[in-house]
Amino acid sequence: MKLSALRPVTLVLSRELALTALLLLGVSFVVFVILFLAPGDPFSVLLEGQMPSHEARAGVREALGVPRTWYVQYVSWLGNLLRGNFGTSIRTGLPVFGEIVRVGLSTLYLTLGSMLVTLLIAVPIALHSSVRGATPLNRPFTLLAYLVSSLPVFWLGYVAIYLFSHKLGVFPLVSAASASADRAWLYSLLPICVLGIGNGTVSEVVRYLREELSRVMAEDYIRTARAKGASVWRHAFKEGLLIPMTEIIASKIPFILGGAVIVEQVFNWPGMGRMAWQAAQDRDFPAIMGIVMIAATLVRLGSLLQRVVYVAVNPRASKQRRGAGWAE
Amino acid sequence: MTGAPLLEIENLRTYFYARSKQAFIRAVDGVTLSIARGETLGVVGESGSGKSVTALSITGLVSAGPGVISGTIAFRADGVEHNLLQDLEQYVRLKERDGRIVEVSKDEPGWRKAVERLMAPVRGKEIAMIFQSPKSALNPFARVGDQITEAIRLHTRAKNPGEAKERALHWLERVKIDSPRLRFDNHPYGLSGGMCQRAVIAMALASEPSLLIADEPTTGLDATIQSEIVGLLAELKAEFGIATLLISHDIRAISRLADNVAVMYGGTVVEHGPAPDVLAPGFAPKHPYTTALLASIPSVQNVRDKGYLTVVEGEVPDAVDLPRGCRFYARCNRVTDDIRDKCAHHEPELKEVTPGHHVRCWLSAE
Repeated sequence: MKLSALRPVTLVLSRELALTALLLLGVSFVVFVILFLAPGDPFSVLLEGQMPSHEARAGVREALGVPRTWYVQYVSWLGNLLRGNFGTSIRTGLPVFGEIVRVGLSTLYLTLGSMLVTLLIAVPIALHSSVRGATPLNRPFTLLAYLVSSLPVFWLGYVAIYLFSHKLGVFPLVSAASASADRAWLYSLLPICVLGIGNGTVSEVVRYLREELSRVMAEDYIRTARAKGASVWRHAFKEGLLIPMTEIIASKIPFILGGAVIVEQVFNWPGMGRMAWQAAQDRDFPAIMGIVMIAATLVRLGSLLQRVVYVAVNPRASKQRRGAGWAE
Repeated sequence: MTGAPLLEIENLRTYFYARSKQAFIRAVDGVTLSIARGETLGVVGESGSGKSVTALSITGLVSAGPGVISGTIAFRADGVEHNLLQDLEQYVRLKERDGRIVEVSKDEPGWRKAVERLMAPVRGKEIAMIFQSPKSALNPFARVGDQITEAIRLHTRAKNPGEAKERALHWLERVKIDSPRLRFDNHPYGLSGGMCQRAVIAMALASEPSLLIADEPTTGLDATIQSEIVGLLAELKAEFGIATLLISHDIRAISRLADNVAVMYGGTVVEHGPAPDVLAPGFAPKHPYTTALLASIPSVQNVRDKGYLTVVEGEVPDAVDLPRGCRFYARCNRVTDDIRDKCAHHEPELKEVTPGHHVRCWLSAE
């Protein structure tokens, strides 16, 4: 990329980062309030089985040094967060951030792997059917992809375990964490494939890519490319493939993270989704907040990446000055 | 070889199949044309008369679907004769019942592969095209200069990037784009419509083709820009003498550039001859459609003589259900009682009325 193209990218980056900060603030506030409105609190969970009285709960609260009103709690939590302190988990007593980093890596591995699986399936189908239309060859594949991708991921997960681990014995029943390190990648293939194939992403990626590519293929400039004997793909790549692909991936990140929560439960995968599930069960407020913030950041990072690619690729967008709308 | 025309289209038929109507849309229905080296052939006619589809048929750019192209298109360049429609019919199967086609099955991938194979040595290299609406004809994601350089590197001997860039700049200068070095680095959105068309023309000429197909090159441009582009094309014609198929609504552009003119109506050629003969308003043996078309051009002369603009009454015939007789019969105002029966039921042949001038009309067939 030439240097002149970098300036608009930094401009977009700074705008988007500022927007992200605002959004994260809003998200944290809303989630915090919802947690307080929801029934249950961490103290009752901690005192589970001990017939918690008001006094006992108040005692735990005092011992942990938690302020009484929710807004004071929010402000102190926010203050800590700004200093880089995510707080400590009420359940484990460990720093939340360290724990999220530890489990986050395996979630990242799961989600990125599943994204790759989705693209490996969806892109060839989309390419073939947008170029050729519905042919006897790609129609059954498209149908199958749509069918499988509309199956609920928890069901698909259990079926996969039953079939591949129980019946065929290809994959062990234990989780990837308990396998020896050199074979861990093999055991992780099953959850990655389940999340990549199910979860509704394949069909949406196929549909979106196919529509965008067909639209671009009908553009005048593609006809010009053909008329001059140039490669159609070379000309269609940016608008027909690169931009829609980043767009659809960015918009699918929340769904993939949501799917990861379920897949991690089903496969006993030691990731952020399982941690989130556990934290929600325990009403472990600091852990929940930490995970929410990280997940929201990931989602924003996805759309940030998409904006950056779009602006870097599209000359028209990159020439717009500050203040001139970004709508396109 | 030198005597043979550069491009010879014989009885070209390009039909699109409309599944809902179970009938063919006969966009081009029996066109016979030829272009000699250095000749500019102007093709005029209303929208829907099959001009553009003819051009797209020559370069194999007719968009997909179960359509049929038949006839022959002979193209002679570099001492090789190409039949641009060779063996294409074998990919299409028609099922007929009572003389009506009820089903079309087409091996689309095979057809396309065959078209690409036939076009590979020709398209872009020997036949270059200029389209209407130049702003959308250029790739918005690539620099203008790079798009011209691409054509040069694909089709000429200038393969190395630096040399190709010099050639591209040279062509940008040739089409009189101002500050070519600046424009080279621009993306199409930074250029006006007129500049874009100049760039498109530069791109077409840069591959040094034997035939240039200009499909309504001035449509979608401002009136002043239109005449500038026509002026540019005239200069380039004088300078390079590239054989050109010029399709246009713009009779003035045609009269300025074309050596010969073909008038198309309802998917076929109704009149064909030297430009001065065909375009002269008063010239006697002439197709009634041409007369009507010429009378409808907004010009000072026309308005002053009559005080109003004439229009060609009626509509272009439906390409699905073309009339059995003369295609212009329903709109013709020159039918006489002697020939009415023939006009309604039999299609006239293209008949030579004066040397080189052909008219498809029963009036001229006497």
